[in-house]
Amino acid sequence: MKYAFYPGCVAKGGCPELYTAAVKVAEKLDIELEEMADVACTGAGCMPTQLSDPINARTFAKAEQMGLPIMTICSTCQGVFSQANHRLQDTDYREEINREYLAEEGLSYQGTTEVKHMLWVLFEDLGVEKLKSLIQRPLDGLKVSPFYGCFLRRPGPIMVPTKEVGGRRGYLEDLTRLLGAENVDISGKTKCCGFPVLTANEESSLGMVAKHAGESKQNGADCMVTPCPLCHLNLDGNQPRAESLKGEKINLPIVHLPQLLGLALGFDADEMQLGKHIVSTKAVNDKVDMLT
Amino acid sequence: MPEYDVLVIGGGAAGLRASIAAKRAGASVALLSKVHPLRTNSALSPGGVNAPLGSDDSAQKFADDIMNAGDGLCNPEAVNALAAEAAGEVVWLERVGVPFNRDGDGRIDRRALGSGSVERAAYADDRTGHMVLHVLHEQFQRYDIPCFKEWFVTSLIQDAGACTGAVALDHRSGRIETFSAGAVILATGGFIQAYRPCTAAVGTTGDGLALGYDLGVGLADMEMVQFHPTVYSAGRTALISEAALSAGARLVNAAGDTVVDAAGLSRAQLAAAVDKAGRNGGGPVSLDLRPVENVASRFPGAAEVVRLMAGLDITQVPVPVRPVAHRAMGGLDTNASGETSVAGLFAVGECAHSGVHGAGRMPGNTLTEAVVFGKRVGEAAAAHAQSAGTRSTSTDQAARDGERLAAITSGGSSGDTLGTIHRELGDVMHANLGVTRTDAGLAEAQETIRGLRDRHGKLRVGNKSRIFNYALTSHLELGNMLKLAEAVALAARGRNESRGAHQRSDSPERDDTSWKAHTVVHQQDGAPKLDRKAVSA
Amino acid sequence: MEVTYKVHREDSQNGGESSFSTYQVDLPEDATVLDGLQKIRDEQDDTLAFRASCCQGTCGECAVRINYKAQFTCTTRIADVTKKGPEILCAPVRNIPVIKDLVFDMDRFTWDKMAAMKPWMEPDDEFAPTENLVPESEMAEVRKTMTCYQCGLCDEGCAVLPVDFDFLGPGAMVKGYRFVMDPRETGPRQEERLAVVEQPKGLWDCVHCYEANGKCARGLEPSSKIMEMRDVSFKHGIKNEKVARHHNSFINSVKQTGWLDERKLVMETEGLTNIGGLMKLLPTAVRAMTRGKMPGRHEKRPGADQIKRIIEKAEESK
Repeated sequence: MKYAFYPGCVAKGGCPELYTAAVKVAEKLDIELEEMADVACTGAGCMPTQLSDPINARTFAKAEQMGLPIMTICSTCQGVFSQANHRLQDTDYREEINREYLAEEGLSYQGTTEVKHMLWVLFEDLGVEKLKSLIQRPLDGLKVSPFYGCFLRRPGPIMVPTKEVGGRRGYLEDLTRLLGAENVDISGKTKCCGFPVLTANEESSLGMVAKHAGESKQNGADCMVTPCPLCHLNLDGNQPRAESLKGEKINLPIVHLPQLLGLALGFDADEMQLGKHIVSTKAVNDKVDMLT
Repeated sequence: MPEYDVLVIGGGAAGLRASIAAKRAGASVALLSKVHPLRTNSALSPGGVNAPLGSDDSAQKFADDIMNAGDGLCNPEAVNALAAEAAGEVVWLERVGVPFNRDGDGRIDRRALGSGSVERAAYADDRTGHMVLHVLHEQFQRYDIPCFKEWFVTSLIQDAGACTGAVALDHRSGRIETFSAGAVILATGGFIQAYRPCTAAVGTTGDGLALGYDLGVGLADMEMVQFHPTVYSAGRTALISEAALSAGARLVNAAGDTVVDAAGLSRAQLAAAVDKAGRNGGGPVSLDLRPVENVASRFPGAAEVVRLMAGLDITQVPVPVRPVAHRAMGGLDTNASGETSVAGLFAVGECAHSGVHGAGRMPGNTLTEAVVFGKRVGEAAAAHAQSAGTRSTSTDQAARDGERLAAITSGGSSGDTLGTIHRELGDVMHANLGVTRTDAGLAEAQETIRGLRDRHGKLRVGNKSRIFNYALTSHLELGNMLKLAEAVALAARGRNESRGAHQRSDSPERDDTSWKAHTVVHQQDGAPKLDRKAVSA
Repeated sequence: MEVTYKVHREDSQNGGESSFSTYQVDLPEDATVLDGLQKIRDEQDDTLAFRASCCQGTCGECAVRINYKAQFTCTTRIADVTKKGPEILCAPVRNIPVIKDLVFDMDRFTWDKMAAMKPWMEPDDEFAPTENLVPESEMAEVRKTMTCYQCGLCDEGCAVLPVDFDFLGPGAMVKGYRFVMDPRETGPRQEERLAVVEQPKGLWDCVHCYEANGKCARGLEPSSKIMEMRDVSFKHGIKNEKVARHHNSFINSVKQTGWLDERKLVMETEGLTNIGGLMKLLPTAVRAMTRGKMPGRHEKRPGADQIKRIIEKAEESK
């Protein structure tokens, strides 16, 4: 099983622990990764589609050349890619982009590249049985709130396109249970984390952090797990600011999807770089340490 | 007390247009509506808005067609005004935003409504009423006109013979307030909810007609009730625009054979033909829209409403239809400027009878009437208010209304319910005052309605609150409908001939000697009294 | 069939305590949820308040949360909402103050926000003798958008409104879109329209979570329309200064190096001369540094020159 690996900017920037964890976990799972080094940022929904569609078409064309599907570890990258790829299925539009932007570099996108988030890869390519067989340390007693955020779920017709993959709606909960942890639901698990509006309306953004993290804490979770580093930046990185805004302590560790997976695969907290988080993950580390 | 030059009652297309016109004419204006303007019955008008915009058309041709459809009961002054001013109004609607369908040259496209008619209806898919209503509401907001929405008018105020204001109940605060006005425009819509089934929104209960009637204004041609020929109705109702017929849809029986050829038929004739075909034993009549090219995109409104209400797909199966009460042509007797017999009181739209429809309204003229007469009446009311002297608006009426409402919410249950009385009224209206009528049936209807009025008079509402007390306002609405139903039955019984929408199987011929005249019902000592009024030349 | 209605009760003028009332109702198989509510008010409890008007899914008046999903009572069949049991739970739509029972404050929820869009045309040639000439393909798009009922279902699903009730919301944005995209509102008119949708609490306050796309009864995809308007706004020059700085910094970063320089982005968004804004960022930066989380030196990627070429060409075509 081999993928063109697209880590995204944040895993190479503000959340280096995500990159480290993902690479280690993939190796343990026999997922071979060939990192795409010479491709652009997706645009993250911040670039207008008129700029981002051409550069994403370039990325897809590169993967096509490699003959590999793309694996992402960021919901935002995945969402922007999926939407762009959806538009690029229109032959006229794709040909126009090939002609206008890619031809000069000798590239042409044929529309065949598949883009999958690591969460989807686990269930749809690797398979539950294989994953189960590799678990070395079931996370018994760890209470985890899955937090999808937006981009892995919506727009529904693009992100959860068919009945066959209808299970995508429950992957995060399924994984949490599969790893032996306890699933702690929160009402906003498929809602926005607030990150996209940090610029335009900080208070609203931090309000969302407080709402989700606060509810998870209240429901008794030890931590929250997210497949998106931008959710992580806001939920973890801005949790102290959300706490000051609301005048209450929350102190809920937020872990990246590969980190949680890694802990169950037998990696320790240091290997998963849990120490790099803003909100201390001590409560998680302690619980996991007890398991070994 | 809030004071305005012009007080408009009713937030549908006619009321909004009148408000805008009065405001542009320099008057201070306020609108009172028992529902938000976007929730009014105007939103349900699908087919189009008539205007002689084609190079092959003219105001004269339009007027001739209206006179013809009106079967001898049109007021030529009103008809000529409508025909002359329709194009200007429709072009204005386009200029301020209505997204009319376009022809190949980018001009407003036109289509025929009903088979055989001239291509004269400008349309926005089959959601013309929705689009016109929304754009009129936009313009209404542009002029920053105060909107008292979800206020229910309980009575009009009369001083020295003139109408000087209204009393209304605010659903939200429960407060009863007196509004003082130099002129009052009633634009409250028709009373088709008196029928069951019917195509109208629940609020189409004839409140404005009853308000004017109580003040002494006559109700003209109340027997003229138009049935829509292509309505799905089985518990729930879904209206399909007649434009589908001219676009190629067919009326078929269970075997798929065409049972009604719609070509050249007026709406009343078509309704009668569909009604008859449905009784002929060939099974229910259905509208087969499958022959219409691109039916789902050309009739998205029909596709949606039939899917939602009937659970059927118009691209796959014929839709069972029958004639259903749709549009009242009778109403408060007015001239072509909307003036009633009471100084300062105007009426426009479906609640008014300006004689523009006669005995048979052309499909597509409801919206045209709303905008053309909305403008005319708004301007006339503004002029009246500006020229009227000082007025006195007493708050005594508000106190009396308060007592009246308190009386309705006093006392216990009589075992009867508003819903039961409403259903029984609707059933007798449909059966005995429907597409075809007989003297015996009408006499029976009068009897039944009298009985229902007695029961309604005894019925009390248990909910004593005034805040969003819909049971209380339903009680008032039902009272209005019963009062009007009595007038409809009386007028229908009086007119012992067949003309336009009024078809009597016991008097099947048109009788111009006796009945080239309007019926007018006045209220005398609480009882309806029928008069006859000559048709203007 | 016999069903159980469990209906939210609340009277904001009298204390505002909320509760549920339960009613047993016998209805025909094909009855709608509205039929049942009407029957309850008529026969069992005339204090029950709910709104309804057209009763055929055309006006948008009767949105209620039925079994946790906001929908119209007049188009929802009881048979469809009782498959898992005979109980029908009716509650007011979310994100909105209740006045009484199922009647909520549409002024604050929708009407005032719609009005903030200055939702009307004021053409110079309003009384011209003939209509605007517009191709049908363009008019059809506007018409589709204008099927919006202004019912509030999209706002009901909004992720921002629960934390910021003053956000204008997807419904108002659809109203704005109708004008921004109208071929009759071009040139300076369109600029004015963009300025209106880009007002504070408007276009840029949306988190593009795409919740609203799945909520519209007429399939108008409000979230996608918001993103489309952002693309248009970008072409015309983003009018919200801070958002514009953020976008420019973002694009420049990708243009220069192929990927995002987060450190620079944060500072340039705040504005390099905005000392107060930058100071506010300091605690977060310090926290990140102590955790070894601060992004390292931002290196140019291989392929960056091609990426730059593509972006510059795409910018030219705007």
